[in-house]
Amino acid sequence: MSPHAAETRKGAADRLRDIESVTEAGLARLSVDDLLVELLDRVRAILDADTAVVLLLDEPTRQLVATAATGIEEEVYQGMRIPLGRGFAGRVAAGKQPVTIHDVQDADVVNPLLRQKGVRSLLGVPLLVGDRLLGVLHVGTLTPRHFGEADVDLLQMVADRVALATQAHLSETERRAAVLLQRRLLPEGMPQVPGLEVAFRYIAGGEGDVGGDWYDMFTLPSGWVCMTVGDVVGRGLRAASVMGRLRSAVRAYALATRSDPAAILDRIDRMLRHFEPDEMATAVLALLEPSFERLHVSLAGHPAPVVATGAGPATLVDVPVDPPLGVAPPLSRRATTVDLPPGAVVCLYSDGLVERRGVPLDARLERLRQAVTVRAVEDVCTTVMVQLVGDDRPTDDVALLTVRRLDPPSAEPLELAVPAVASSLRDIRAAVKRWLTTIDARPEDVMDVLLAVGEATSNVVEHAYGPKGGLVHVRLELQRPDVVVTVRDDGHWRSPRGRNRGRGTHIIHAVTDEFTTDRRSNGTELVIRRRLGQAGSHS
Amino acid sequence: MTTAVVDVTVDDRSVGIAVSGEVDLANAATVEDQIVAAITNQVASVSVDLSAVDYMDSAGMRILFALASRLAGLQIAFEVVAPFGSSARRLVEVSGLALLVALRPPMDRAAG
Repeated sequence: MSPHAAETRKGAADRLRDIESVTEAGLARLSVDDLLVELLDRVRAILDADTAVVLLLDEPTRQLVATAATGIEEEVYQGMRIPLGRGFAGRVAAGKQPVTIHDVQDADVVNPLLRQKGVRSLLGVPLLVGDRLLGVLHVGTLTPRHFGEADVDLLQMVADRVALATQAHLSETERRAAVLLQRRLLPEGMPQVPGLEVAFRYIAGGEGDVGGDWYDMFTLPSGWVCMTVGDVVGRGLRAASVMGRLRSAVRAYALATRSDPAAILDRIDRMLRHFEPDEMATAVLALLEPSFERLHVSLAGHPAPVVATGAGPATLVDVPVDPPLGVAPPLSRRATTVDLPPGAVVCLYSDGLVERRGVPLDARLERLRQAVTVRAVEDVCTTVMVQLVGDDRPTDDVALLTVRRLDPPSAEPLELAVPAVASSLRDIRAAVKRWLTTIDARPEDVMDVLLAVGEATSNVVEHAYGPKGGLVHVRLELQRPDVVVTVRDDGHWRSPRGRNRGRGTHIIHAVTDEFTTDRRSNGTELVIRRRLGQAGSHS
Repeated sequence: MTTAVVDVTVDDRSVGIAVSGEVDLANAATVEDQIVAAITNQVASVSVDLSAVDYMDSAGMRILFALASRLAGLQIAFEVVAPFGSSARRLVEVSGLALLVALRPPMDRAAG
């Protein structure tokens, strides 16, 4: 037996003091990091060891990561990682049993730091909470030593203490992180879109454990408005982070994909199945045309939006429900188009709003349908929450997004920036048309301004950029009694090619009152002025 | 994507081509192909009806200018139909096409 062995060196009184020193209640006040270092220092002193290390299991990689160390701090500084099952710490973890090594020279030790440091003997114990492995605690000596049963018992006692503190800390950290993450990942506010009124409600359900519901609304440079509500299956930090990625993905794909909600959901679906095959989510995606006249809706395992137009009671949008995201093999997703007259209200919501244990879904949907009427969106949200949540604390997250198409819109300038490609022209016209109706332009004015904008933007599409492409910027401003249109690009203009070209500028001249072109090295700007209510002078 | 429908009616040696929807840079080539395909060498007169056009710009006019010059070379009569007050008529007028082709309103209104 080694002269260093604890049982030969210490009496029962010492042992008791040792135990007290590692179970002292005062330690509970320390943060986990400080607690780990303090316990490691104490255990090193008690066991007369030279090094002491805590490695925690990183679940996703199945590796042990050095988290706290004394006597061999480099392990932490260098972020040492040991695969489960390999080397000394890996064996302790894999077997969930104490392991002693009398002499490192003869043993399977993967960590080069132990050899470099001159560590000769090792004792390692698992960090366990119940049957769940959190990591490994090990001590080492620079002189050869036989660790006895009492050493193992004492170290295991410290390990249990470390495990409990770490577990509590991790779950608290995870819970806080999830709450924080969810808060940061959800939109901080809703975009101000002239002509639309928006309100939302979000309730984190359950026992303070966040779920994966999300809602979002954003405008696209093409003038389309995208709205979405979704629900990642599961709870906690994991669901919250997947939710964040999905929300970003919806934005990215909406920006890059033609304005079709089914096509966007299809890409999200593929993304999820490829990168996160274990995750599943439901979502509703609704795209509002730049004219605000039609809403395109696609569902992925999600309840249909409610639309109230004022003509009769509100209805659930009649759209087929395609499978949730992340589950099904490729399929052709479907979208439905709904007319949205001025004043109409649209409600998107997560299933947490309509699902209640013991109540048929249809009854809940019926209740929701009755709660949605044509009026201010804040009122709609309030009524819906009163009717469907009431004083019954939701067990699941509840997300509710309500949008109303206003009829008397403002005369804020219209700003668009869209890819200079032919397929953008139709969207530009739709946005311009809507804006012109908001300023009460007469049909003749609408016709001529549309034509002028159409010609100016077509010119940019054809002549401003090379194959690399670029953006066309359109701005319409009301300067009574004129509408001032600015069409700008950042390209290098080249002269029209082919026959029957160059007629566009002639047409712009013919249908407007003033037309100037400012051609610079870094782009061209066309400013067109059209007096309202004077079409007669031109035709 | 911009969409237009091209309807062709053949009556003996005259061809009626009714365009509806929108015509811009995005679909002008498709519309041109459809119009040209409707006109055989045996045809004596062509009428393009723009009454149901919601939007057309110089991309659409290019089709009609090209058609006008080719039909003139083939000695095929060419007329364009557009109602008074319509955006298509305005475009035919301001683009100068009205100087090259016969422009008339649809039959049911022509009397008035």
